[in-house]
Amino acid sequence: MTANRWGFPDLGLGVGLRTAHYAHILSQEPDVGFFEILTENYLDTGGRPLHILDQVAERYPVVMHGVSMSIGSTDPIDLGYLAKVKALAERTGALWISDHICWTGVLGRNTHDLLPLPYTEESLAHSVARIRKVQEFLERPLVLENPSTYLEFAADDMSEWEFVARLAEEADCGLLFDVNNVYVSAFNHGYDPVAYIDAIPGDRVCQYHLAGHTNKGTHIIDTHSDHVVDPVWELYGHTIRSLGPRATLLEWDADIPPFEVVHAEVRKAEAWRRLEVANVA
Amino acid sequence: MSRDALPLQPGLERLQRWMQAVVVHPGTVEDAIASTGAAAEIPVESLDRVVRPSRSMSPAERVGVYHGMYLMRMEEALAADYPVTRHQLGDHRFRHLVRAYVERHPSRSYTLNRLGDHLPQFFLEEPDWPQAAFLHDLARLELAMTEAFDEEESPALGPAELEAVAPEAWERARLRPIAALRLLALRHAVIPHLLAYHEDRPAPAPRRRASRVALYRRDFAVRRLELDRAQHELLAALCSGAPLGGALSAAAARQRSARQQDKIFRWFRTWVAEGLFAAIEI
Repeated sequence: MTANRWGFPDLGLGVGLRTAHYAHILSQEPDVGFFEILTENYLDTGGRPLHILDQVAERYPVVMHGVSMSIGSTDPIDLGYLAKVKALAERTGALWISDHICWTGVLGRNTHDLLPLPYTEESLAHSVARIRKVQEFLERPLVLENPSTYLEFAADDMSEWEFVARLAEEADCGLLFDVNNVYVSAFNHGYDPVAYIDAIPGDRVCQYHLAGHTNKGTHIIDTHSDHVVDPVWELYGHTIRSLGPRATLLEWDADIPPFEVVHAEVRKAEAWRRLEVANVA
Repeated sequence: MSRDALPLQPGLERLQRWMQAVVVHPGTVEDAIASTGAAAEIPVESLDRVVRPSRSMSPAERVGVYHGMYLMRMEEALAADYPVTRHQLGDHRFRHLVRAYVERHPSRSYTLNRLGDHLPQFFLEEPDWPQAAFLHDLARLELAMTEAFDEEESPALGPAELEAVAPEAWERARLRPIAALRLLALRHAVIPHLLAYHEDRPAPAPRRRASRVALYRRDFAVRRLELDRAQHELLAALCSGAPLGGALSAAAARQRSARQQDKIFRWFRTWVAEGLFAAIEI
C-alpha cells in the first residue's frame, strides 16, 4: 500500500454535485467528504449553477471532473477550453482536475463520448506528449481516469492496464481509478480485473470512482444509473488493499434518486475502507 | 497466418477519423461502416482486422455500441434545452429532427449546452420542414431562455441610483440592460405552447399571430414579460441605448390620450422593478 505522491488528501467519501440535489445540499449541509463537479457544466454559465457552486465550494472540498479534454485526440489541444478549466479551478479551489483516457472527436467535432484509444506505442507516445503540455498549461498534475470500453482494437500492442500504468509513469500524471470501469471492461473483453488492479502504480492514484452499470447480457454499459453491484464492491476492497485508501466518489448520473439514496450508497464504502485498512495494518 | 488475417494498423489519425465517421452516421451501424466517409479510411472488408470480436459480439456489434449511443446523447441534450419543441413534435418526430439537425450542425464545442444554438437557424434552412416557420419562433423562444439562464450575473439598477439622477440629466440618460435579458418579436403565438408544456397539456395547434416577449433572469430564475407592440418598441429602444427622453417622448407620441401616456411610466417602473436594467449612464 502506497501514499499518493503529490500528497493529495484522502477526502473520504464524496458525491457528484448534481442539479437535482442543489436545494438539499445547501439546506441540509450533509456530511459529505467532498463534491465532484462535472467541469463543463460550469465553464460557460454566470447563472444559477455557478452561484450554487460558489456556495458549495465555500462549505466543502471540491474536485473537478471533465469529459471534453480529449487527451488522446489527434486534433490540436483546445487552449481556450483549458484556460476556462484553469480559471474554474482557481475560482473553486479545486484540489485536483481530472478527465479521461480517451478521445472525444476529431476534425473539429465533438461526439461527446469517451471513445477508446488503441493501446499502441503510437497512441501512448501521442497521449503522453499531450498530457505533458496540458500539465504545463494548468501548472498542476492532470489526473486521468481509466475508461469503460466496449471494443478492443486488433492492433493493440499491450493490455489496457499496461497502457494506463505506462501512461501515468511516462507523462508523470495522476490516475483516477474507476473500479466499476475495470469491472465493465473486464466483462466486455474477458480479462481478469484483479490483474488490472494489481498492475496500477498506487502512488499515482489520487481518487477512486464507483458507479452502477447496466448489464445487457452480451456486454455491460457504464450507465451510472444504479446501485453498485457486489462484485464491484469486492473489487473496491481489493483495490484499497493493493493501492491504498483514497478519496472515493459515487457517480450516479441517470435516473438520479434523492440525495439520501446516493449518499447512503457511497457510505457503504466506509465499511470496506475500515476493513481493508485494518487488514493491511 | 495470411496477410489478410493480420491486424490492420491504420495509424491513430486515420483510425480516429474512421471511428468518428461511423459513430456519427445517422443510419444503421452497417450503413455507417459501409458509408463513403468511413470506407475511405478503412474498407468494409477490413473491419475484422481493425476491431476484435468479443466472446459474444462481432466487431460491427461492438462498434455499434458507440454508434447507438451517439444519437441518444444528442437527443438527450437537445431535449433538455428544447422541451417545448419536443412536447410540440412528440418523441418520434423530435428524434427525426435531432437526426437531421446534428447532421447539419454537429457539436463543435466542448459543451453540449451549446449544441442547440443553431436550431432556430435550422428551421430557416429547412423551410419545407412541417411547420418550419412556427418551429423557428418556438426554437427562438427556447434558445433565448437558455441564454438568459446562462448569462453573466449583473446587479440590477436600484431605486437609489435612479433617485440620484438630477432632473436635467434624465433627458439624455441612457439605460444599460442586464446581460440576461432577451427581447423577442415573433410571428407566432408561442407562449401558449410553453404553458401547455408546463401544465402537461397537449400542445395546441400552431397559430400565426405576432407576439413579443422579454425574457430575463431574476434571482437566478428565468422569467418573462409578454409585451404589446408599443412596449416592445420602447424597451427595444432603451436596450439599444437610445436616450431616455427621446425614447419616452416617441412612445408617448404614439399614445392617443394623456391617460394612455401615463401607462408608459408604469411600464418603465415595472421594468425597473423587475431588474431589467443594470445601470443608468448620464
